[in-house]
Amino acid sequence: MSLINITLIVYVVASISYIVREIWGCKATRWASLGLLILAFCLNLTMVAKRSIEAGHPPFSNLYESLIFYACCTAFVYIIFEFIYNFRVVGAMASVLTMLILLYATLQDDTIRPIMPALKSNWMLVHVVTYMLGYAAFGISFVTSIIYLVVKPFAGKSKDSKEDEDGREILPRNFDKLSYKIVAFGFPFLTLGMVTGAVWAKKAWGDYWSWDPKETWSLITWLAYLVYLHSPLVLPKMNINKSKASVILAFWLLFAFGIVNFTFVGLNYLPSASESEHIYGSK
Amino acid sequence: MKNVKQHQSPAIVGTKGKDSSKEISPEKAGGHKRRDSNMVWEFFCSVKLAVVIILIMVVACILGTVILQEKTLDEYVAMYGYGLATFFKFTQLNNVFYSHWFSFLLILLCANLICCTIKRWRNTFLQTGFILTHLSLILILAGGVVKFQLGVKGGVNVYEGKSVNYFLTQMINRQGKLDYVKKDLPFSIALDDFILEKNEPKFQLVTFVKSKDRQKILDVKVGKKQRIPGSDYVVTIKDYIPDAELKQEPVNTSDKPDNPAIFVKLFGSEMATAEGWLLAHDRNYYEDGKQNLRLEYIWLSSQQELDNTINTIEANNAKLSVTMSGQSRDYPLDLNKVFKFEGTDYTIKMLQYVLNYGDKRPVSEQPQDNPAVQIEINGPEGTETRWVFEKFPDWDKMHPAKYKNVKVTCSGITSTHMAKNTIRIFQSPEGKQVIVYIKDKRVAETIPWELGKKYTIADTGNQVTVSDYFPSFDFKKEVIKKSDTVGIPAIYVEAEGPAGKVGDWLFSNNQYATWYTDNNLALVYESTGESVKHYTSKLRVEENGQTVAEKVIRVNDPLKYKGYVIYQSSYDPEAGNFSGLQIVKDPGIPVVYSGFGALCFGVIFIFYIKPFLRKKQKKAAEGQ
Repeated sequence: MSLINITLIVYVVASISYIVREIWGCKATRWASLGLLILAFCLNLTMVAKRSIEAGHPPFSNLYESLIFYACCTAFVYIIFEFIYNFRVVGAMASVLTMLILLYATLQDDTIRPIMPALKSNWMLVHVVTYMLGYAAFGISFVTSIIYLVVKPFAGKSKDSKEDEDGREILPRNFDKLSYKIVAFGFPFLTLGMVTGAVWAKKAWGDYWSWDPKETWSLITWLAYLVYLHSPLVLPKMNINKSKASVILAFWLLFAFGIVNFTFVGLNYLPSASESEHIYGSK
Repeated sequence: MKNVKQHQSPAIVGTKGKDSSKEISPEKAGGHKRRDSNMVWEFFCSVKLAVVIILIMVVACILGTVILQEKTLDEYVAMYGYGLATFFKFTQLNNVFYSHWFSFLLILLCANLICCTIKRWRNTFLQTGFILTHLSLILILAGGVVKFQLGVKGGVNVYEGKSVNYFLTQMINRQGKLDYVKKDLPFSIALDDFILEKNEPKFQLVTFVKSKDRQKILDVKVGKKQRIPGSDYVVTIKDYIPDAELKQEPVNTSDKPDNPAIFVKLFGSEMATAEGWLLAHDRNYYEDGKQNLRLEYIWLSSQQELDNTINTIEANNAKLSVTMSGQSRDYPLDLNKVFKFEGTDYTIKMLQYVLNYGDKRPVSEQPQDNPAVQIEINGPEGTETRWVFEKFPDWDKMHPAKYKNVKVTCSGITSTHMAKNTIRIFQSPEGKQVIVYIKDKRVAETIPWELGKKYTIADTGNQVTVSDYFPSFDFKKEVIKKSDTVGIPAIYVEAEGPAGKVGDWLFSNNQYATWYTDNNLALVYESTGESVKHYTSKLRVEENGQTVAEKVIRVNDPLKYKGYVIYQSSYDPEAGNFSGLQIVKDPGIPVVYSGFGALCFGVIFIFYIKPFLRKKQKKAAEGQ
């Protein structure tokens, strides 16, 4: 059995153990499920390293390699958050999300090809790593928003729970605040990724910004999260009640993550894709 | 309550309380003028405006990628029709990012950013992030304006040993046409040397499962069993030779005539002009183009059949078979004649035929390896031109065609191109063997032959000897290693499937697929193609005849001189003797880059450093 299949299975098992932990909620399962996820992450990291050695270049030169690395980052960022906050349900969905990314990678062409000259740059390395960490955080915020939207109708009138921060458990009905923290974690990475991408483009293609579809969509992504981050300044002035505003923001995050994915893998569907320098597989 | 809010947005909300108290003050002051100017001020300061601008920008960006940008008017008309094309031109949707309304949006955003930054400016350390991020965006936008106003970007191709002192920029002019503008450089660039370095060729094993129509590329790893997904096949590479050669030695494997073959020598005057094996069931002819002579070896399974065949000269039997809606018709191969498929509106015209498709030599010199006819089908949807291959009758099924409903096959193409004179060597199991000489489509001579004897063929001046006969011809294949460096690599592949285990050598220079016994699994061992590793140009910048700068540039490593940056951007794909340079001048770069720096540091401050400092402050406050 190939490494990718084993990794996929461990992610599924980790996800199941998170669900078990959610239902029976004993202490032991917490460490078991976290342990399984860390194991899956390590396997995933091994895949990245192995690929990197086999190909002889950093493993982001095509969609297959990037997706595997993206899955790895998602698991990594989740694990970090799990150490900071006690999440409960999020783990199950985060591992499912990671598994889906990996599964999508298996559908891609995994042939090792020599990389084109423009990709041989250290800026590219920083660019991809920061972007993937940012995307990973947005993936987790997507998960927390879904859970928030699902739990919201069942949660009683929120009694502004005092249990918060500092490792104590965060209840799903407060996931709106959690989502904000996660986006706040990811946004600097997205910004760094975009800036390093621009610097790299300047070095390789002569222009830091040329309104290429990939560039434009990365700007759209950035703007979408920028609007979200400014929302606490705007929504209170708009006569929308607080709980409704939270729901709108949760939906906004789902939408924004859709943009992330479109920017990442969907741009081939654009009519302008064939002229792009930067879309996977268009050149 | 305040605490919760701050927690919700540690970055931005911070000073909200103070702001709202300020907002009230102008009301108290009264006075219409002040109130109006304050309203304008409030408008430009508001975050609401920022959010609205950003949302409009998002929409504009989406439009700018959905609608193709900066095409010529003709292209727009072809793609979207006249009405939409005019609309795009009018609304500048054909050039969203450089349109007046988008510029206006950016100016508005800039004004908003400036007002907002001034309004919320507090001289506290915690504000650093806020100020940096907002200032950085202003800087980046300002730098963009400088680039737009003063920057130039273009390209030029330079040949090795030559120099240029200009470059070309591309733009769409007012008439909606593509225009090149020549820009002079204040110096000249000489290309002393251009080096194109390619990667070492890589090889891959491609598998194709016909029933699933699925291709999969396997690792070339010796000894690894590889299952082909979605099928029952298992492929194992057993051996690998980096530089292999196939040695084939003809052998006779039995006395039964399973694969009869003869070794024939053809003499001109005394000297042997040609010799070789003719296989009855495979390549059974030799053609001498110069003499217009053809040599054939015909094996017949009985004496009687042989007697019947000796004197028959088959006519031209090349034909085209066309099948359409269940009906099938045959047409003789006749160039440039139009055939109508009765009962339909379709007509078929034969344009040309070849004996070896893709061969550039004249038809008479081509080997008969891949005979094909080019036809033209005229039907209700217009004209389709296609090639019909004698040996690959299903080719059209697997390739795009306008008239998929029209199935065309051909046969006997080679017979249209028989040499004028033919020597036929007949043989049958009972032992009668005859040489028949056909001249001008008539039997001119019939001679019984024996092994090893020389026969003179009538007036041709030729002599023929059959020097060897193998009833069951086969090749003893031997793959030998020529060297250890990568030359023509070969792998020994074992395929396991429903029909058992089969193994064979695959050579990377063999472009044809090797099929597994059931004709459903195909294997090709091939090079992945030569890809470019890197390309470099040795440039010299000259000013007043003096060399002022020199550098070997490559992608990612340009040459800078006097505000111009010269990039390696492309190369001559055909002959590789010119270098494509991109020349950019952008005085806004320092401004933009300082914006980039400030933005990066700003966001890190807001989202990482500030919360940390806050927590520390809070703890300190609690401690007191």
